[in-house]
Formats: sequence, structure tokens, C-alpha cells
Amino acid sequence: MLESKTLATVAPPEVRPTSGLAIQDQVVELFDELRVPLLRYLSGFPLSVPDSEDIIQEAFLALFEHLGRGGSHPNIRGWLFRTAHNLALKKRLRVRRNGGPALEMGLARDVAIDPAPNPEVQLASHQTRERLMAVVRALPEQNRWCLYLRAEGLRYREIAAVLDISLGSVALYLERSLALVARAAER
Amino acid sequence: MLSEDSHLSREELLLSIDGELAPGDAGRVEAHLAACWSCRVRRQEMETAIAEFVRLEQGNFFFDIPSADGPRALLKARLAQAAETQRGPWHGWFGRVSWPIGWAAAAILVIGAIGAIAIRSWSARRPAALMAVTIPNPNLTPGATVLLSQREVCSETSAKNKAVPASIRRQVFDEYGIAYAEPRAYEVDYLITPALGGADDIRNLWPQSSSATVWNAQVKDALEDYLRGLVCDGRLDLATAQRDIAGNWIEAYKKYFHTDRPLTLYR
Repeated sequence: MLESKTLATVAPPEVRPTSGLAIQDQVVELFDELRVPLLRYLSGFPLSVPDSEDIIQEAFLALFEHLGRGGSHPNIRGWLFRTAHNLALKKRLRVRRNGGPALEMGLARDVAIDPAPNPEVQLASHQTRERLMAVVRALPEQNRWCLYLRAEGLRYREIAAVLDISLGSVALYLERSLALVARAAER
Repeated sequence: MLSEDSHLSREELLLSIDGELAPGDAGRVEAHLAACWSCRVRRQEMETAIAEFVRLEQGNFFFDIPSADGPRALLKARLAQAAETQRGPWHGWFGRVSWPIGWAAAAILVIGAIGAIAIRSWSARRPAALMAVTIPNPNLTPGATVLLSQREVCSETSAKNKAVPASIRRQVFDEYGIAYAEPRAYEVDYLITPALGGADDIRNLWPQSSSATVWNAQVKDALEDYLRGLVCDGRLDLATAQRDIAGNWIEAYKKYFHTDRPLTLYR
């Protein structure tokens, strides 16, 4: 396991709120920037798009209240992912308690449009995607979340903070997940 | 930890790709990679796996992500409501002043409020100078649309309401029996906004009172933005949106925002 001192340090941008309408504008600006990455991340729970939209709304309202109370955070993006993550866990727990069906991860579009001219190539490409999705679906949750968060550009320290795990675990989960993805892509 | 003699571990390769190695280790890993074809190939395979996953996660999902218009409009309304709550009349103020000053100020406010009520009841006894219009008369303004499909409506990225010519505004005021309308007392508004396929037609125009403090033009704008978002995401039929907003826009707001009052008080 790697020690944290072997990892590079990254200083994420800090958001400092001003007041009143400026905070609202700032929150909406962040919403425009981070809504899609958050939707993609929450799809890996998996959660439905309407449920994910609800969670994102709650996360940004929580951010607004936090900033409105004069709070700040050295890394708002990480804070939002962490808040959305925790809200998603709660949501999933509520759904399970109420006996709701567990959502299966699937391809958002069964057949993505592929510009390849040859139908055989298109089929092979589709099969590769299906295989990759099956691998991702079968990953342990922590591994899958690490993969999604890294794909959204979060650094290891940010991922560790979102999931409340060690830096070494982030590296380990990512490495294991990518090894499986690589194997599925090769076949 | 890094070993100088053996090949790099997968973890070291990944940290190197992600720029997560400390500077000292990064130098050694780069030196090893420069000399070792085998590790370079493994690194390349790892980067291919990353590319495959990113294509899957971002490319495939991208097409089904709904438009941001509706969620953004909803968030704006909820933020404004939260701001109202945070600003509440007593919020934070009494905490910062001493009790005697606070009570004195409260007494002044009570006296002021009684005065305001007295003035208002006196004003109410006078003949009304302005007619308050919050909902259009369905006989005069049933709503009118142009024949556009959902795709055509949504492909128009800047479907802003056109300014209504003065002659048409006068005609609208005449229809509603509003004589001597103060220019700022009413906004001649489209019942079905052009952003939802509303027509540039007098049957789709009505005089909305600017003095409305609760169900006002800004609240209707929020509804229009939200409905357009739903329509363009494919979550609401265009005809239903047009029918709901033309029927009773306040009821439509309550229906779509799941609330009995505007999510914020726009002034």
C-alpha cells in the first residue's frame, strides 16, 4: 500500500462567497458546470435520472445555505460530490426500506450511434461496450465510485475525501478496476 | 515503494499516469520507463483502459442527459425561496442588538404597521384607479399557438417574447376595459410564451398587473422556463404544456412546482 507522502499534493480551487444575490449566481454557475458530472457519477450508484436530479438540487441548496451562513470550503467541487454521495446513500436506503426495486446499471442507450461504416465493426464495438459495462456493473461499489470520480477529474485526495477512505485505497481500487476494464477491452 | 531493479508495479504506473506521484518518485518512474519497453507497453495498456472507460462513461451517457433548463429554473426558484427564508424579518437582527433597542424598534414597527393598515383601509374606500389582473379573461385571451412541433420549439434557442406594439397594447387595454392605463401599471404579456409555441396574436395577449406582489410576471416566467425544460427533455407533451398554461397559469404553477404559493416572492 502506498504511503500518502508518495502522492503529489494538489491544491484545488477555493470558492469564497460574497453575499446575497452574488451567492445565488455563484451557485447557479456551479450548477451549470457540475450538474452533468454529478449526474454521471450518480448513475454509477445506480440511481435514476429523476432521483439524481433531486439529489443534485438538494446538494446545491445545501451549498447555498452553507455559503449563506458565511461558510466556505477549500474545495467546493469535492464538497458537492461528497454531499451528493451522502444524499444518494440516504436515498438508496430509503428506497430499500420502502421495498422499492433496486436499480440495475445499464447502458443509457442500448445502441449508441457509431460512425463506423462496417456493420461488423459496429457490432464488435457494441459488444465491447456491453462487456465493459458488465465489468463496471460487477465491480464492488467503492471501486466503481473511485472509477467514476476519477473519470470526472477528481484527484486522489478529493476522491479519498468524498468516499472517506485512504489515499492508498483510492490508488488500489482504481488500479484493480482498471485492470479488469483493460481485460474486458482486450477480449 | 518504488524498486529500482524490478519492473514498476501497476499501482506505480497508474500513479504516474495520473500525476499523483511525489516529485522524487516521479523522476525515478520516468527514468525506468525511458529504459523499459515492457513497462511502457503496460502503461500504454492502462491508458487504453482509461480511454475505454471514459468513452463509456461520458460518451454513452451523454445523449440521454436531459436539458438543464428545467432543473436550472427550479434551482433558481428554490434558491430565491431559501434566500427569503434566510433574510426573514427577524433573522439575525435581534441577535445583534441589545434587548431594549430591539423592543423599542419593535414598538416603532408595530405603530408603523397600524398606521399602514389605517392608510390602506382608507385607500380601499376610494374608487379603484387600477384594475388588478392576475389571470386573463378566457373569453378575451383564450391563448393562441403557432403550428410548431416540439423539435421546432426546442431548436429555437432564443425564443424571447417580442415587444408588443403600442397599438396592439392599446387594443388589449380597450378589450379589458382598462382606461388610462399607466404604462408601468401593466405588462402586456403573452399567455402562452413564444418559447412554448405561443402566437403573436391578440388572443394570446393580456394585461398583467405589475402591482401583483404574489402571482406576478416573474413567477409566470419561472413557470414558462420550467415547462419549456420539461417539453424539451421529452418529459411533457408540448400540447399539454400549452393547454395547462393557457387554462390557468397559476394552477399550472401549483401543479408543476408542487406548491400552493410561488416558491419565492419576486418583487
